[in-house]
Amino acid sequence: MRFVALLRSLASSLLRRSQMEGDLDEELRAHVANRADDLERSGLPHPEAERRARIEFGGQERYKEECREERGGIWLASLWTDVRFGLRMLSKSRAFSLVAVITLALGIGANAAIFSMVNALLLHPYHFRDLDALVRVWEDRGIDEGYDARYVAPADAKELSTHGELFESLATYEMRSFSLGAGSEIQPVLGCRVTANFFDVLSVNPAAGRLFSPGEEQPGEHQVAIVSDGFWKRRFAGDPHQLGEKISLNGRMYSIVGIMPKDFDYPVPVELWVPLALTPEEQADRTQLSLQVLGRLKDGVTPDQAGSALANFSRRLEQDYPKTNTGRTMKALQLRKELYVFTLPLFLLLQAAAGFVLLLACANLANLVFARMIGRQREIALRTALGAGRGRLGQLFLSETLLYSIAAGIVAITASFASVKMLRTSIPAGWTKWVPGWDGIRVDGNVLAFTIAVALGAGLVLGLATVLHASQVELNNTLKETGAGSVTPGRRRVRSALVIAQVMFAFVLLVCAGLTIQGFVRLADIYHGFEPASVLRVEISLPEKTYPETVKITNFYQQLLRGAASLPGVQHASLITNPPASNVDSETTFFKIEGQPALKAGEAPSADLQIATPDFFATLKISLISGRFLSEADNANAARVVVISRGMAQRFWPGADPVGHRIKLGTADSTEPWVTIAGVVGDVRQNWWNPATRPVIYKPFAQSTQRSMTLLMRTQTNPASYVSAIREVGRQIDPGIALRGIATLEEEVTDSIAIVRIMGILMGIFGMVALVLSSIGVYGVLSESVAQRTREIGIRLALGAETPALMKLIIGHALKLTAIGLAIALPVSLAISRAMTSLIFGVVSMNVTIFAAFAVVLLLVALGAGYLPARRAMHVDPMVALRYE
Amino acid sequence: MAGQAQILPGNLDLLILKAISLGPLHGYGILLRIEQISRGALLIEQGALYPALFRLVRQGLLKPNWGTSDNNRRAKFYELTPAGRKRLHQEAADWNRLVAAIALALGAEPEEV
Repeated sequence: MRFVALLRSLASSLLRRSQMEGDLDEELRAHVANRADDLERSGLPHPEAERRARIEFGGQERYKEECREERGGIWLASLWTDVRFGLRMLSKSRAFSLVAVITLALGIGANAAIFSMVNALLLHPYHFRDLDALVRVWEDRGIDEGYDARYVAPADAKELSTHGELFESLATYEMRSFSLGAGSEIQPVLGCRVTANFFDVLSVNPAAGRLFSPGEEQPGEHQVAIVSDGFWKRRFAGDPHQLGEKISLNGRMYSIVGIMPKDFDYPVPVELWVPLALTPEEQADRTQLSLQVLGRLKDGVTPDQAGSALANFSRRLEQDYPKTNTGRTMKALQLRKELYVFTLPLFLLLQAAAGFVLLLACANLANLVFARMIGRQREIALRTALGAGRGRLGQLFLSETLLYSIAAGIVAITASFASVKMLRTSIPAGWTKWVPGWDGIRVDGNVLAFTIAVALGAGLVLGLATVLHASQVELNNTLKETGAGSVTPGRRRVRSALVIAQVMFAFVLLVCAGLTIQGFVRLADIYHGFEPASVLRVEISLPEKTYPETVKITNFYQQLLRGAASLPGVQHASLITNPPASNVDSETTFFKIEGQPALKAGEAPSADLQIATPDFFATLKISLISGRFLSEADNANAARVVVISRGMAQRFWPGADPVGHRIKLGTADSTEPWVTIAGVVGDVRQNWWNPATRPVIYKPFAQSTQRSMTLLMRTQTNPASYVSAIREVGRQIDPGIALRGIATLEEEVTDSIAIVRIMGILMGIFGMVALVLSSIGVYGVLSESVAQRTREIGIRLALGAETPALMKLIIGHALKLTAIGLAIALPVSLAISRAMTSLIFGVVSMNVTIFAAFAVVLLLVALGAGYLPARRAMHVDPMVALRYE
Repeated sequence: MAGQAQILPGNLDLLILKAISLGPLHGYGILLRIEQISRGALLIEQGALYPALFRLVRQGLLKPNWGTSDNNRRAKFYELTPAGRKRLHQEAADWNRLVAAIALALGAEPEEV
């Protein structure tokens, strides 16, 4: 009932506002007139009666305001008035508004841009139905295998898929590169072998054609393939009548049965998918972790529950198959979180930095608003005297600051369309296509909503701060004073606190920016250890069908190396399984040291395994620490040897020379032969995200032949000019082999650390903005306090104060505020940089010089910001100053 | 101002309801009626009447209507709604109970304790 009445009065107050204003006027006028009539009747003369009636009634405007408030709907009705007033203020003080809007827009825009990345990469990396129920499952062997080494043994995967309680459906897949075509037109394509239900688990449908049927999973069945939209467009010009067309993959014919939609690129952007057809022996394999597993959790099963259920399941496997499964634990991770190991620390840091920029902008703006408030004290006092309550004043200030923040939000959103596009295209597509969700970095509904919320939040906070600030206006004193109003000590403290906060935010941001940039520079240095500028890399993968046995493989690669080395200007040519900056982790292996007690599977030492030809170390200029490099003599018939990295030597043979010691690869009970350590070589950083260099074992290629290798060539001139020459070498040996991933190592390095570079640039921008904002803040407060103290300064000058002493007074004030800010910021930024060191892949490290340098920079800025107002104070004419008020 | 008492803010609403319960009145009329029924013992700040009236209207206790006053001026007349009448009874009862209790307390003699 009351609510309905309230609504009604709200509505009527809005609809018939002017009429009600008229009614109110008329009602009160009638009252006074009636009273005057009565007074006149009692004998007073007419003018006197009217005067008395008005006095008896009291302050009309005040009661009117109270009536308006009682009527309800006041805030809506008066909002329009306030907004109009705010707009007038905006246009009246254009410079102030411009500064306010730009300051806020910087803060809001920074947040919008970073959130667009958070939104795309962390929140919506994929667009599958019910994304949170999709998990990757893998078997953890207790060794640090890197994020992309998440595999399951085929037999374990099969057993898991029959364990029906957790998963609605479970698919397995494996990446495979194929040679597409025949004869002289061979192309390498990246494909994926998947179980028939793979697409159902993701709940995606083909754009044309059909998915696989379970019958097509059988080996030897007629071969079918589903191709990506990109493949379809490139190869068949997007002609839908080409469904059923046959293509040759690794020398076998496959007919195309389906085409996937354009945006589908799971697990990574591949060209095609074929059924995963395992032989019964392959299916029964429990030793090799070779398959990737993707599952959709049942309704109501949380990832945590799945995790503990999988742990139990692993214990059971361990009991049933102790020989193979000891020490293995199945784990599950939501698809969405797969890349969190990279993206979470990066983008949380960026988002936090952007948040700091906004806070800094708000503090700065609050200072500006407060400064202007001093000029507006009389207006506030007058409004209070006319019956504006605290709430009414609050609404006024709120609508003013909200106007600023909305204007800033509009500017920020407009700018973010451009800035977000710039962010998206700032990293080469060749790298970003592996980052799920990167193409989704754009200003979408979520980003818009976030930006609007941030803008309104900032306006609200600023408005409330203003209200609190304004409520300290002393009515009587202000109205009586003729001057521009005064500042109470309390309020000066508030403004000083704001400056201190600004210095603090600026310092923290600058330190973070400095650390990130330093980390980036150091990353580039790490890779520069092997002079990537003059190295060309080429990936080769020999198909199983045409290269079934070791002799053929060895022959091919020997011819290739010989051909490459004979090209003019090529200094070294060599093979390696996983070159540095490949963005792929190396295969890891357990090993056992001869003479040391065997350890349990989970505790056995492990290292990265590389297979290399002898010239690899010379190609990358890796130094020899002790013993010898691999040599041509280490062939298939010679004694088994390996070379290990310095990090591995130091870790497992501390203080001793491991050369001559023997190790065995694999777990304790493996049947591998013992191998002798022939030499120790310098450490190489594999990928930028590895927190530290890992122990590496290099096996000679001749003793451990592999089909897929990367050719590295060190050249005297620009390596890019050798691309066609090396293609020709390959074609002469076997025209059926595709060479791919041809690039200079330098390109690879630059691309692989692009994300860190972008982060460094963004942090640098944030840091600069912070520096500018905080120096404006310090300058503003000081120059105003000088203006406030003009009279005092005049008196001091008149009494004979020396100018240096005055100068010291004012600049000392600036330095004091900055020093307090720094004192607070120091422990904060120490804590933050410590967190950064552990989060950002170890590329960031504490650095005293950075701390000291930025502290000095901020003090210098304060000095500069204090100097200008101080100079002005020096030129105060005592006479003018004394008459100032 | 001997013999006159200031009114507490909350009590003004009760007095307005009572005055109007005796017949629809305009603002000035309410003032006169209260003066009359309290035999001039209660002093009301004239302007303060209107915020109270607006409040009661918003609460749905009073209903305003434009009409013509005795001396031929257009005036806004207020009358009680059913809810207003109910509120008046309730508040009057509450008030009487309070007054009786306070009177009792104030009239207590030493021997009664």
